[in-house]
Amino acid sequence: MQLERIGVALRPRTSQEAMDLGMAMLRAHARPVWSAWLVFTLPIFLACQLLAWVLGMPWLALVLPWWLRPLFDRIPLYVLSRAVFEQAPSWRETLKAQRTWPWGRTFAGLTWLRVDTNRSLRLPMELLEGMAAKQRRARWRVLSRPLVGAASGLTWICIAFELVISLSLCIFAMWLVPSEALPDSMRSLNQAFTIPAFRHALLWIASGAIYVSMSIVEPLYVAAGFGLYLNRRTQLEAWDIDLAFRRLRERLLEAGVGVALLICVLCLPSFAHAADTRADAAHASSQNIAEVFHQPVNDKDALFASEAAYVYRDARFGQPHKVQRWVPRIPTMDTRSNAVSPSWFGAMFANLGAGLLNVLLWGLLAIVVGALMVFALRYIRIKKLPLPEPGERPKPLRSSVMHDMPLPDDLAAAVRELWHGGRHREALALLYRGSVQRAATALRMQPPIDATESDWLHYARSVEDQARRERLIAIVRTWQFAAYADRYPGDADVDALLSGWPAQQVVP
Amino acid sequence: MLDTVREIETPEGVSLRLRAAGAFGRAQAWLLDTLLRFVVFCVGLGIFSAILGRGGVGLGMLLMFTLMWVYNVVCEVWFHGQTLGKRALGLRVVSADGTPVTLLPSVVRNLLRVVDALPGIYGVGLVTSMIDPSARRIGDIVAGTLVIHADDLPAGSKVPMAPAQPLPLPLDQDEQAAVIEFAERSPQLTPERQEELADILYPLTGREGTAAVTQITAYANGLLGRP
Repeated sequence: MQLERIGVALRPRTSQEAMDLGMAMLRAHARPVWSAWLVFTLPIFLACQLLAWVLGMPWLALVLPWWLRPLFDRIPLYVLSRAVFEQAPSWRETLKAQRTWPWGRTFAGLTWLRVDTNRSLRLPMELLEGMAAKQRRARWRVLSRPLVGAASGLTWICIAFELVISLSLCIFAMWLVPSEALPDSMRSLNQAFTIPAFRHALLWIASGAIYVSMSIVEPLYVAAGFGLYLNRRTQLEAWDIDLAFRRLRERLLEAGVGVALLICVLCLPSFAHAADTRADAAHASSQNIAEVFHQPVNDKDALFASEAAYVYRDARFGQPHKVQRWVPRIPTMDTRSNAVSPSWFGAMFANLGAGLLNVLLWGLLAIVVGALMVFALRYIRIKKLPLPEPGERPKPLRSSVMHDMPLPDDLAAAVRELWHGGRHREALALLYRGSVQRAATALRMQPPIDATESDWLHYARSVEDQARRERLIAIVRTWQFAAYADRYPGDADVDALLSGWPAQQVVP
Repeated sequence: MLDTVREIETPEGVSLRLRAAGAFGRAQAWLLDTLLRFVVFCVGLGIFSAILGRGGVGLGMLLMFTLMWVYNVVCEVWFHGQTLGKRALGLRVVSADGTPVTLLPSVVRNLLRVVDALPGIYGVGLVTSMIDPSARRIGDIVAGTLVIHADDLPAGSKVPMAPAQPLPLPLDQDEQAAVIEFAERSPQLTPERQEELADILYPLTGREGTAAVTQITAYANGLLGRP
């Protein structure tokens, strides 16, 4: 194999692209492939039909050509593998070469490997590399690892393609039957199926359609598999790099660089700017016309002057010409600010901004540290405060005062005295306090220290006597109005509240 | 040189490489799309007839029309030239000059599906895309569009770090690219093959075997501007 003579652009491809490359190869070498294909397969196909007819087993006409496909695959593969590296062989050469091409693997493919979805990929490896069994198995593992999915996908899609093409042929043939003739033949089709001769004819038509579709798709299948194989080897052996390196080597050897280079490598370790200097030299040389043409330029030559004048009359020199260019309708912020402010101005602003931001950040840090310190001090001070002793209950603020004051024996008189003395609020408070205490006594309960007015309204409902109950409720209500809304009853109402229990001691 | 690439040079001198997609990938994408649309149609028809009874069949037919004729155009024009099947296969529809496909060409190429699908199973489209060098079907040829591979190429690993060395003499751009490519892809090669390749460049490196490999890696580091 001589890689330099390869006729395919080598580059890393996806497996989809590799299959497309196979199709492109087939398109480029269509004539040698299909001429050899027809010469090789058509006689075999006809022989199969004849055999089926002679043996009286019409199904053989369908099965045999299908079974022999691995044999047919040799033809397109041989042509393509030669065409990629050198001249495509003629059909004569292809057929002649089949004798010398190894047959062992084809027999394997025709027997125990017949049903194998990876055939397209296995073919080029087995036929083109021709290795011993053990080596081949290892090689197959390396080669097929990332491609098994793609290869079996290719098989299925090719089966679908064949189905599409053969069915299309049949449908087109049906369309060719005149529509007025169609109903009759359709009607008689069911009856026709009972005649064996008609069934056989149908079978041969089908096998003919299948042969045509196979002739179209099978070379495609082999070519796509060959494309996958080529791509995998390019990947494994870096063929594209190999080619590029070979070209580079040839260029270097032709230029005689090799010898000079060795001296360079030995004496001068650094050529870092070689590329730059070469580029500079090329640039400089193109500026001087005399150097470009390797001869002195005579400006005073009349012929030259007239030629030059003629050239300058060309539309490309000095003539006005229209230039169409896309420009943004609204200039962006960047370009505007760049256009206005010179760079030092921007730099100054940037420095100023950075400085300000610096100060700001340091200030922020100082504030945070200060706040933390204040918080810590406060925390320590709070911690120093003596804790209340456990078990001591907090005293209610008002009750400490009120409880100490003893209730007068004649509650009604005391209240009335306060009321008429103008101290309405105290009067009502005393009345409420005394009333609830008496109510608690009457109900035989310990007066809860935290009982609210609404609690007392609730307790009041358990007083049995209706008049007393209502009076107690009225007292609580009156006190509520006085205490929370500053609304006081009239003298008559107070008198009504004070008449009877609980304001007056009544013997039950 | 045989290749499936369609090269287009822009007025700015930039060369665009469109990797035309062949019948294999396109058929798979079409199959995916068709299955997907069939499922959507069945579900939609079921829902419509469950709600509206016989009237739902009419809505189902409208749904089928939309899936057959609008789905492709909408996907191609507003979703980067990719239907869901094409997205799954990494394909994309573009204009023949590489620009995104616009409304009219997309409508034309999808209307001409009638021709490509001819005996009802895309026989004409299949054969046309086998014959055309860029694997276009009739709709693509008329509308001036192209289906390309849009997914990334298999890339090598990063160039291994090594102390850089300047090249002893200037190289052309593609030669420099080959040197870097070697450094990138050498981890995927066997050591023997690495040395074999590096030995080819003996006139450049003046070394053989493993020393040549490390030398080329050092050159690649230098070309990449590493210290």
